[in-house]
Amino acid sequence: MDIDKKNNGKFILDNLQTRREFLKLLGKGLGYSAILTSLPGCGGGGSSPTPVAQIPMASPEYVTLKRTSFGVHRDELASIQAIGINAYLEQQLNYQNINDDNLENTLRTRFPLAFQTPAQLYAGFPENTQDINVDMISATQHRQIFSKRQLYEVMVEFWSDHFNIQLLNGLGPTLKPTDDLQVIRIHALGNFRDLLQASASSPSMIFYLDNFFNQAAAPNENYARELMELHTLGVNGGYTENDIKEVARCFTGWSIRFPNDPDGNPGEFIFRSTIHDNNAKTVLQNTITSNGGQTDGIQVLDILATHLSTAQFISTKLCRRFISDQPDEATINTVTTAFINSNGDIKDTLRALFASNAFQNTSDLKLCRPTEYLAGVIRSLAPDTNYPTDNGILFATAQSILGQLPFNWPTPDGYPDQQTYWGSTGGLLNRWRLSFLSFANVIQEINVFQINYNAMLNGANTLTTIIDAMINNILMRPISSDDKNFLLEWLNTQTGLTNDTALPTETIDKLTPSIASVLISSAYFQLR
Amino acid sequence: MANHNAINITEKDILVCIFQRGAADGLNALVPYGDNDYYNKRPTMSVPQPGANNGAIDLDGFFGLHPALAPLKPIYDIGDLALIHATGVPHRSRSHFTAQELVERGLTNKLGPNTGWLGRHLALNTKPSSSAFRVVSISGNVPVTLTGADDPLAFSEISSFGFDQGVINTGYPEVLTNLFRNPLPFSNTAQAALSAVDELASANPGIIPPDNGAAYPVTTLGKQLQQVGQLIKSTLPVEVICLDSNGWDHHENLPTFIQQSLTELAGAISAFHSDMGTRMQNITVLINTEFGRRVSQNASLGADHGTGSLAYVMGGGINGGQVFSNWPGLSDQNLEMNEDLKITTDLRSVQAELLTKRLGGTNMNTVFPGFTYTPAGIFN
Repeated sequence: MDIDKKNNGKFILDNLQTRREFLKLLGKGLGYSAILTSLPGCGGGGSSPTPVAQIPMASPEYVTLKRTSFGVHRDELASIQAIGINAYLEQQLNYQNINDDNLENTLRTRFPLAFQTPAQLYAGFPENTQDINVDMISATQHRQIFSKRQLYEVMVEFWSDHFNIQLLNGLGPTLKPTDDLQVIRIHALGNFRDLLQASASSPSMIFYLDNFFNQAAAPNENYARELMELHTLGVNGGYTENDIKEVARCFTGWSIRFPNDPDGNPGEFIFRSTIHDNNAKTVLQNTITSNGGQTDGIQVLDILATHLSTAQFISTKLCRRFISDQPDEATINTVTTAFINSNGDIKDTLRALFASNAFQNTSDLKLCRPTEYLAGVIRSLAPDTNYPTDNGILFATAQSILGQLPFNWPTPDGYPDQQTYWGSTGGLLNRWRLSFLSFANVIQEINVFQINYNAMLNGANTLTTIIDAMINNILMRPISSDDKNFLLEWLNTQTGLTNDTALPTETIDKLTPSIASVLISSAYFQLR
Repeated sequence: MANHNAINITEKDILVCIFQRGAADGLNALVPYGDNDYYNKRPTMSVPQPGANNGAIDLDGFFGLHPALAPLKPIYDIGDLALIHATGVPHRSRSHFTAQELVERGLTNKLGPNTGWLGRHLALNTKPSSSAFRVVSISGNVPVTLTGADDPLAFSEISSFGFDQGVINTGYPEVLTNLFRNPLPFSNTAQAALSAVDELASANPGIIPPDNGAAYPVTTLGKQLQQVGQLIKSTLPVEVICLDSNGWDHHENLPTFIQQSLTELAGAISAFHSDMGTRMQNITVLINTEFGRRVSQNASLGADHGTGSLAYVMGGGINGGQVFSNWPGLSDQNLEMNEDLKITTDLRSVQAELLTKRLGGTNMNTVFPGFTYTPAGIFN
């Protein structure tokens, strides 16, 4: 049999010679410029499938990594198996003891705008708008893919959604990088009360939610409403329309310095006492006495941070992130109690969540989100790859297709954390198309990451042994015998070969990217 | 196989729903220039009287269109467009997220079915075909409006939906069909996506050009409506298409922003009307938002969250060329919570009449439980 002839044009994709053709394969019609025009949201609230785990369970160590990192990495799986789940999680919670300097130094060099102050960024504004956007997206994606502080990065994403700010929004590009560093990243595993106040006084938030307009003579309620609805109490958390008006009055004067202010740098926080409402207010039945100045807002944050509704709201969101879309009441209550008893300590709250039965004894309850999927593909297929040397545009383009570009969700509620949103027809199709990242090793020009299939195969040279080796290396979990048979039948049909025929190297090289794309398209890889 | 000559004309209209996300201001879109309180409460944020520089386009001696909506005037004049003012779902929430959810579910509070009003209607009818293109969203995601319907299809661009031929040759779609077989997780969605890819490749609507010289604006909404037109003109059996129009949350500098938003809306809608030509006899377009904006301008030359707003209906089956409004007035004592435009026409009565007269009838208890509707005579 002429194996090469049989395989021609089947496992090597036609016209896949250049980086541009590769991107077209992923985007089918979307060009390089997609990142500049794409809108977030390629998911949906379809027919609310309730997946019952009918695929073989993965190991508890695998499930823990799947839920607390951006995809299971071979080395981390070995580590958690060696030291145990509890010790691994404790290590991750104490993230400052994990040295990530190499990555951070690389990011500072490669994506410098993500580290600049508002004044520095304003000097090049607005011409630098898209550069800031790309640097911010890329720095975030690189941390998700390459950081050893995976749980920390998961919490950074959680709070970035919770306190969402759209970057492309007026002066937003000059302000969000500092918010990312000084609000979200500093407090992601710290204390909620500190995080809340950092956010309330963040120029990026003040600009995004219009609080710089908020003045005694004409209150603007935008921030006050979202502060209670989205940041603390939750929409059913027990506040009234009148509370919103009162909280808005408390935050009058919380403002920022604008460009060309002779007294300071653009994008700095400033409390403008002259436009602050000095009369007494009543917030959630608490009296805020008159002439409190900036302390009015501080008192509001105290009231909100210690409110039972806030503890419940944050705990429910954490359970949705780490367990499932419908976490049980008992688990939420346990986590809520930990939040209250620790005065909002985020690590202690997570410890209670990780100790719960619901976290430890379930799996595959939720579709991973696009950021987890993309990072997971790289972490699984290319565990040894170096930091990319491109300008970040490949990963950003890939994520713009998937619909979860960091800092590009327009409304203050952050990217949805419900699998019904992401698991639509179009959402699944986009993931499947992105699975062709597995062909990156075919293209010499793709210097973003390197996939080494030969290392995965370790000498396997028949369809049976190749499939087993790739399942072990890429999925790192067992699959059903039915599914394995479907994979083998597919390969039999496509190659005309039997399962135990020894294959020549060039045939193997053609098969591996296709097999990899199917594996990372499957439910085994997509569920968490 | 593809048959580009077939036209989707049935006894039911094709329904196109556009949701204006962010609370679109109704008062500066359809201007109640005959109400002096409008000018009193928006002293520097109003649209001038008809005849003045940049003034409203008079419709009926009381209401006038914002000048950016000029492309809609000819459609109004031939009777294909009606406007419903002081409308909305009386839900009393001023949260965007809660309000959008309630309007899409067709409810005044969260107690009630967890599905969308249109999804519930669609679930009443059995699927006439196995097509994945019966219910489509072109906003990337499936809106709450459509939840409850069988596997609504969601994508953001026709041209990006599908696989490269080289991928198809590898047998990739076939092996996925097996790996996502029933009843494994996400099997229904996966199967729907795979068959949609096949259907779309066969019908290839992306190549169908606009008719009648229609020129869609090169904006998000313009591109989306062009795709709506392509789907309708293709052989795909579409019944309902939903899309979003974003960016209506004008807390500040409303005159500038609404000028841009209305220009995009009017350009896209009028191009769609031209493109569809006589097909418009069997198409209904419904445009609405989650709530309106406050009557008085704020210190930022914008308006905060309000209550009543404006809805648009366009199509051949409409008693168009008129504004339907039981105008509540804008003086203080007539305002909702002393500051908002009251809702005097429940949006659900518009939707209910639409389903009854243009979509082959419905079950009112299922679609709008607990709501009694009075037809306003908007539809034929």
